[in-house]
Amino acid sequence: MQQSLMDKLTILADSAKYDVACTSSGAARGGAAGSIGSCYAPGCCHTFTADGRCVSLLKVLMSNYCSYDCSYCVNRRSNDLPRATFTARELAELTIQFYRRNYIEGLFLSSAVLGTADYTTERMIACLRILREEYHFRGYIHAKAIPGTDPMLIQELGLLADRLSVNVELPSEKSLHLLAPDKGKRAIFRPMGQIATATQTSKQELTVYKNAPKFAPAGQSTQMIVGASPESDWHILQLTEGLYQKYHLRRVFYSAYIPVAEDSRLPALDTKPPLLREHRLYQADWLLRFYHFSAKEILSQENPNFNPYLDPKCNWALYHYDQFPVDVNTAPYETLLRVPGIGPTCARRIQSARRTASLGLDELRRMGVVLKRAQYFIVCRGFAGATGGRGSQGRETITRALLDPKVFNADCEQLSLFSAPAVQQLAQNGMNPRLAGNLVREEAVQCLAKAL
Amino acid sequence: MSGESSLMYFSANGGELSQEDSFVSWKRPGQPDDRPIARGAQCNASQAYPPPPKKQPRPAHDADVVYCYDGSFAGFLCCIFESFNRHEMPFSIWPPEQVQPTLYESRYIDSDQTKAKRVYKSYCNLMGSTGRRFLNTVFLSGSPDKDLLLLRFMRLAFSEGQRTLGMASHPDVAAVYALDTAIGYEIDHLFGFVRFQDADGMLGSIIHPKCHALPLLRGHFCTRYPDEQFLIYDATHSEVLLYQNHKAQIFTLDAPLTLPAPDKTEQYYQDLWKQFYHTLSIEARRNEALRRSHCAKRFWADMPELKDQL
Repeated sequence: MQQSLMDKLTILADSAKYDVACTSSGAARGGAAGSIGSCYAPGCCHTFTADGRCVSLLKVLMSNYCSYDCSYCVNRRSNDLPRATFTARELAELTIQFYRRNYIEGLFLSSAVLGTADYTTERMIACLRILREEYHFRGYIHAKAIPGTDPMLIQELGLLADRLSVNVELPSEKSLHLLAPDKGKRAIFRPMGQIATATQTSKQELTVYKNAPKFAPAGQSTQMIVGASPESDWHILQLTEGLYQKYHLRRVFYSAYIPVAEDSRLPALDTKPPLLREHRLYQADWLLRFYHFSAKEILSQENPNFNPYLDPKCNWALYHYDQFPVDVNTAPYETLLRVPGIGPTCARRIQSARRTASLGLDELRRMGVVLKRAQYFIVCRGFAGATGGRGSQGRETITRALLDPKVFNADCEQLSLFSAPAVQQLAQNGMNPRLAGNLVREEAVQCLAKAL
Repeated sequence: MSGESSLMYFSANGGELSQEDSFVSWKRPGQPDDRPIARGAQCNASQAYPPPPKKQPRPAHDADVVYCYDGSFAGFLCCIFESFNRHEMPFSIWPPEQVQPTLYESRYIDSDQTKAKRVYKSYCNLMGSTGRRFLNTVFLSGSPDKDLLLLRFMRLAFSEGQRTLGMASHPDVAAVYALDTAIGYEIDHLFGFVRFQDADGMLGSIIHPKCHALPLLRGHFCTRYPDEQFLIYDATHSEVLLYQNHKAQIFTLDAPLTLPAPDKTEQYYQDLWKQFYHTLSIEARRNEALRRSHCAKRFWADMPELKDQL
């Protein structure tokens, strides 16, 4: 039976939607006469789906016929679902038509393993070739490198795409062995290493020859599934830090596991995706990339999981209260970044503004410092730092200001997606969600204030 | 080694007197804020804004007058000229669409190219290319008090010079920075949310921005589609950006512009796009508030995939 383009697009977009990465940042390329497209370095979101995720690229699989049988994946061989494959030309044509209408920033091309990894990559390359060489497409292309592909093919793919990614899939070799028996640690890290080296080499060549070919100018990224296997947050964060340092990744994405299959090795089908945990991982990831934190400052062997009630930065500040207050008028950039309520943008503004004037509370408020949290951690002109009161009362006031409001279901009769596990448990036992939120909050304040 | 560290103590950049150092002398001890503070922290006490070392221009007095001008950039620069000429700070500055009955005296400021050029040239000489780009961008803001805020900013700029741009904490500068940030966000959104539809090879799009977005969208879309012909119609300000035969122009229109109904091919691609959009969302993670915070509802009417969900 002949499938229409509409059917294929539906099937192959549905199969690709669990891939998290949909960024179009990192490559800057202007337009040129006789071609179509350009790359906007900060990246550009073209629309947002009902779950609030950005749609930047036409995210589809080349094919969802898979010869692997990974238990966490919708496209596994043993799953009974409609299958389809794009031809190279129809996908290229569709990309150009969407791009002309400014629906997308470019193409995100992934694929299930159609026969062998090499054959699948060859088909992907054929499509990218049509785009780049026939349509002279200068927009963004993100391509997945499939573990087990021949290095020559990956080299070819990297010269056509802006960003490459290899999925780590699961945070440990043991889980990988258990849940994805066709993939191995070595098969995943080999292409990752190759891409890292090739990008570095390409950069060096570009400094000598202006027109040297660019290999994946927007670098590489990866993603892993959280909640399908028993690893702790500490383990995941250490792995992330290692990936950033060793392979110079631009991003590591986390995807909260959504049950897609009944399997004794996996969480039950009615398990909710661990969205709060995913959120905390992203917060910690930002601390690693932009706030000069290291993994061992955020978590440790003895304390391997995130605090559900506090974001990782506030948690750090609470346990290192002796290092505060800092004077915003003299503190170095790295110290400013440690203050809850001051982020990189704010810290940069403070740095430049204090050259011309000494800063007081009004000035800080104008520059966007969140004084609700920051007031307990800073001193500035005419302000000696807030204490929140004497003794235990002061400690509780400070803790209350730091707590993450969305985990307590504040002012909401329904359970929110990000409710803390304790709130969810109380609500499941029949308690009113708002009441449960308040109860857990009071308990958290009492408990955390002791750390101050 | 010890010599180096003592240099570092006085100046972060190895002995050369930096801008930062030259201001140290302005910080006068003995101000009321200079009292010892609790919790052992060292605190810099000084006036918020020490007087600059050079001669100040005569301060402006608050005048009970409203400036009206024709809404053009030259007209606005003439308002600046007027304010300096009379040493006064007007109560407000109104472009034509904002004019309303008032008890204040209202004075119409004529656009005069000579005066405008004089103001612009001396501003640019003082503030450099960063300052010039900043002024040009903020003037496109849709905020009703942008003219007065810009006047305050420019008065400060003429007395303080280039360092004005670094004074992010000053009330006059912070207000203008806020306008600039708002414009930046809106333009960034529009880069993504503009939707073209194809009618016989010509791409057309309608937007409803808050600021005068077209001059800021021009560069992005012209480099992106160098060989296409397209138009973007700004329905809020009845302006249109037309790109034809590798040339871009911006016009003001008298009558509103409507796009023709999509033909069969266009409808087919719109349907494909809508189908793709709806397929991508994951039901288990549905979060309407997050979607609205990233893509405000005011953009939805111009986007085919979200139009029916309004």
